[in-house]
Order: sequence, then structure tokens, then C-alpha cells
Amino acid sequence: MITTDTTVHSSPLAPRPAGPRPAGSRAPIRARGDDARGLGAALRSDWIKASTLRANRAILGLTLIGGLVVSWAVAVMVTDQVLTVAEVGFYWTTVSSMLAAIAGVLLFGSEVQHGTLATAITARPARWVLASSKAVTAAGFGLLIGAVGLAAGFGGAAIAGLDAGNTSSLVSTVSWALLFSTLSAVLGLGVVMIVRHNTAAIAGILVWGYVAENLFKLFLPAEVARFLPFVAGNHLLAYKSDLESPHALAIALSRAENAAVFGCYAAIALAVGTLLLYRRDTE
Amino acid sequence: MITVSQLTKRYGKRVAVDDLSFEVAAGRVTGFVGPNGAGKSTTMRMMVGLTRPDSGEVRCSGVRYRDLKSPARTVGSVLDARCMHPGRTARDHLRATAALSGMSRSRVPAVLAEVGLESAADQRAGKFSLGMRQRLALAGALLGEPEILLLDEPSNGLDPDGIRWLRDYLSGFARRGGTVFVSSHLIGELSMFAHDLVVIGGGKLLVAEPLAAITARNDVAVVIETPHSARLLALLAERGLPTDGTAGRVVVRGTSRAAVSKLAFDHGIHVVGLTETSRSLEDSLLDLTRASAEFASAATS
Repeated sequence: MITTDTTVHSSPLAPRPAGPRPAGSRAPIRARGDDARGLGAALRSDWIKASTLRANRAILGLTLIGGLVVSWAVAVMVTDQVLTVAEVGFYWTTVSSMLAAIAGVLLFGSEVQHGTLATAITARPARWVLASSKAVTAAGFGLLIGAVGLAAGFGGAAIAGLDAGNTSSLVSTVSWALLFSTLSAVLGLGVVMIVRHNTAAIAGILVWGYVAENLFKLFLPAEVARFLPFVAGNHLLAYKSDLESPHALAIALSRAENAAVFGCYAAIALAVGTLLLYRRDTE
Repeated sequence: MITVSQLTKRYGKRVAVDDLSFEVAAGRVTGFVGPNGAGKSTTMRMMVGLTRPDSGEVRCSGVRYRDLKSPARTVGSVLDARCMHPGRTARDHLRATAALSGMSRSRVPAVLAEVGLESAADQRAGKFSLGMRQRLALAGALLGEPEILLLDEPSNGLDPDGIRWLRDYLSGFARRGGTVFVSSHLIGELSMFAHDLVVIGGGKLLVAEPLAAITARNDVAVVIETPHSARLLALLAERGLPTDGTAGRVVVRGTSRAAVSKLAFDHGIHVVGLTETSRSLEDSLLDLTRASAEFASAATS
């Protein structure tokens, strides 16, 4: 339903405060510190933007419900091995990290799609402020999605009645999983800042993460394949995959190294995207 | 005020804006006119830093846009009223814009009231009509209580009541000392409230003058309907006046209706009709920009 103008009534001219500065005087000029202070303003704006969109709430809802359902289903249906909450709780993280990447894409991609990027640039001409704010917001949202996904994963497994299992390294693994989700959101942001198209960015990330890398692993040497972004990222979760060869498992990078690899991809995408923000949006 | 100095922008071999220089004075409404593809939108994008000029510069209140400490407090711009997320309410759209500009959130209800959108504040922008989107975009431009308003085709989609409201608002803004720079294809509408006109064509400046000066130059023609058109034409030609005539109708320039009436009376020429006409502002400007129009429709027979 389109609301027509007949429902809106013209208002009388509102009284305005004192007029502009005297003719001939100059407007205040931006100083170095103004941009840094502007970062706080940009963060507040991005928080409002992120929290007022139904798409973001839908992603969080999907993360929560999907995690509960998938973890419960795995716990109930896999009966040929002994599973624990500490293991099953992380299974959903691979998917929730993809959802975090999608959220990162939408954070910037929707601004391009609906033209609000131009409005943002006119409000804050310093493009690094906008890029930094988007990166921090993406990271925060990715962290939130990761936390919700883990809570749902553990919750679904617990509801299914699994034992807690070995929790000695749980805190460590949870931390790495949250980092994976956080960096995934930043990677998604960087990718869409480069391609400037929501669908292309989301499809590209999904196809790369779920299809391309699995194909590459078939013919690339394990020494090379371990540096693929989502291979490195998924290894932050530390559960062993039956699909990996003993040789690949033997030469696997440590979690810190995997985090550095995945983080580099996210950082490079973000850096290139920021550079393009300067070049493309001051055409 | 806005100062545009030797602004040039090229896209490949095509020169979109060619050495453009003019000033937009404070306390006045300046209309920005030109055919499609003349360079109006490119010029306005360069004014707010969205497009980098190849040479020249634009200064708003003496400062380049990118150097402004608080752009929103100096310049409020509406270059495309569609620039809003359809899933966000009007209130949230303005809250986000106000936050980014460093404005107090109390400005949000104030500007919603100024543009008459209080009752629609919590509706999603996707359900807005084009006119409501125009008002919301204007509200966003007013958040910082700017000195300068830059508006690109702001009356698109507005109904007559909305157009009148906009006209009154911009006139009041200029009366209070603000600078208004508005581009429009509606020359007749602009002529009702603009003080000055900047006309460009093919990226070049054609005219930058007060509107009164432009309209004063329009030719006044006297049209006489008479059964003795040949005699009248001969009399007018003896006096060196430029004429144009068909059977029963004579058009003469450079004289007045009173003078033609006296001439006809003195020579016993029966006059059936005697009127004075002037070319409309629209005709004058269309003639001015015709040569530089990028897209021109075929002449109607």
C-alpha cells in the first residue's frame, strides 16, 4: 500500500533561530581532530542503521533458530558415535559465520543499493571515517552473530540430552570461533566494498566458501590449500574433518596461524574496498 | 554564498562541465536551468564533493566542501530524493543522518514538523509516495540548520499544494538570509520565486543574471488584425520597423501598441484587433539552450 500525499498536511513555516553568519565570513574549517571525533558519530549512525533493519533481525533470528534446530537434530539423529555438547555446539559455527559474512555484505551493500552512501559521504566527506565505522560495526555484528550461533548450538545439543563432554578447551575454542565469525563479517564487508553489488558479493562468498575451496582442495597440494581463506577460517574451530587426509591434518596450521591467514584476507579486502571508496565515490 | 570558479569535468572525450564560473548570492533563490545532459547534476555533485572536478573549484561560504568542519551546518543538499532505505522508517532515517552529521537527535522531530511529515514519521520509507520522499529528503538536508540549500529537481513528484509549500519554504529560507540553489526543468515554476538564474548548455555557462534582467530583454511584439494589412505593412516599413505579416494580420516589433494605434487611425486603417505580446521566459531560455540540447524531440507540425 502506498501512502499518498493526501494524508500529509502542509505545515506552516516553522520559526527558525537567528540567521546565518555575516556575509563575507568563512565557514569553519575542518581540523585533524574533527575526523577522529567524527568516528564516534559515524559509529552511532551505523548502529542505528544496523539495528533498524528487519534483514539484520532476520539474520539473528535465523542464526538462533537454525543453530537450535541443527544441533538438536544432529544430537538426536547421529547415533553411531558418542557426541557431546562441547563438540556439537560448534557445528553450526561454519554456517553462522557465513551468515555473519552476509550481514557484513548488507551493511555496506544496502547503502550502495539504496543510494544512502552518497548521503553518508556528503555528511562525512572523510571516507576513512565511514570505512572504519563500517568495519567496527561489521565486526561487532559478526561477534554478536557468532555468540548467538554458539549459544544456539550448545543449547540445541543440551536440549537433546547430550553430555557436556570435555570442556577443558571450551573457552579457548569459543574465543576462536567468535573471532572467525567476527572476521567473516569484516570479510563480507570488504568484498561488497569492492564489487558494489549485494547479490554478487553474497553469491561469491557462498560459492567460494562452500564450493570453490572444496574443489581446490581436491587438486591443490595440502601445503597450499591450507592458506585458502575458509579452509583457514574453519580450522579455527579445531574439530577434525573426516574429509581431510592424514597429511593435511599433519601439516595443518595452528589456530593463531589460521586466524592470521583468514584475518589477512579480511584486512586486504577491507583495504582495497576503502581505496575504492576514495577512487570510485569521488569520480 | 557559493562561488564556482572555472569548474571543468570530463568523462573520457566528453566534456560534461566546461570552465563554469558563477556566484550564488546569499539571501536569494538562484535557479539552475539547462536541458538534459547540460551538466547540472554533475555541477551539483561537484559542489558537495561527490564528484572530483578536473580543474576549478567550488567554495561554500568561502571553504571547499571537503574542508568544511561540519558540512551539514553549512550545506544541506538533496540531489536524489530516492536515497533512503525502504525498510527504514522516516524517523530512523533521520536519526541515522543526524547522528552521522553530529546533530542532536532533537532536530529529528523538529525537521519532521518543518516538512509536514510528523504523522508519517514511523512509516517505512518504502511506503512513501514520491512527494513524501522529497519532503523526507528535504528534512534530512535541514537537520544541520544549514546556510545553503542545494536542491536538484526538488519539485519532482510534488502535487500543486506541495509545490506551493516548497516554493514558500525556499522563499522564506532566502528571506532569512540563506542561500538557495535549485535546479529545475519547470522554468515557469522557477520564475515565480527565483531571483537569479544560471543557465547552462553543453556544460558551458550561457547566462547568469537576475531573472528581472532576463525577462526585460524579451521582445515585445504588437499584433494587429486588419483587413488593410498590406497598407499597414507599407507604412510600418517606411518607418524602418521590423514586421511580419500574413493576410489580415501584422506583427511589428520595436514599437508600442499606442503608437501603432495612432498610425492606423491617422491613415484611416480599420483595426479589428490590437494586442501586445512578449516571448515567455520559457521560450527565451529554450531558444538559448536549443543548440546545446543533447536530446531534442522532433518538431510537432
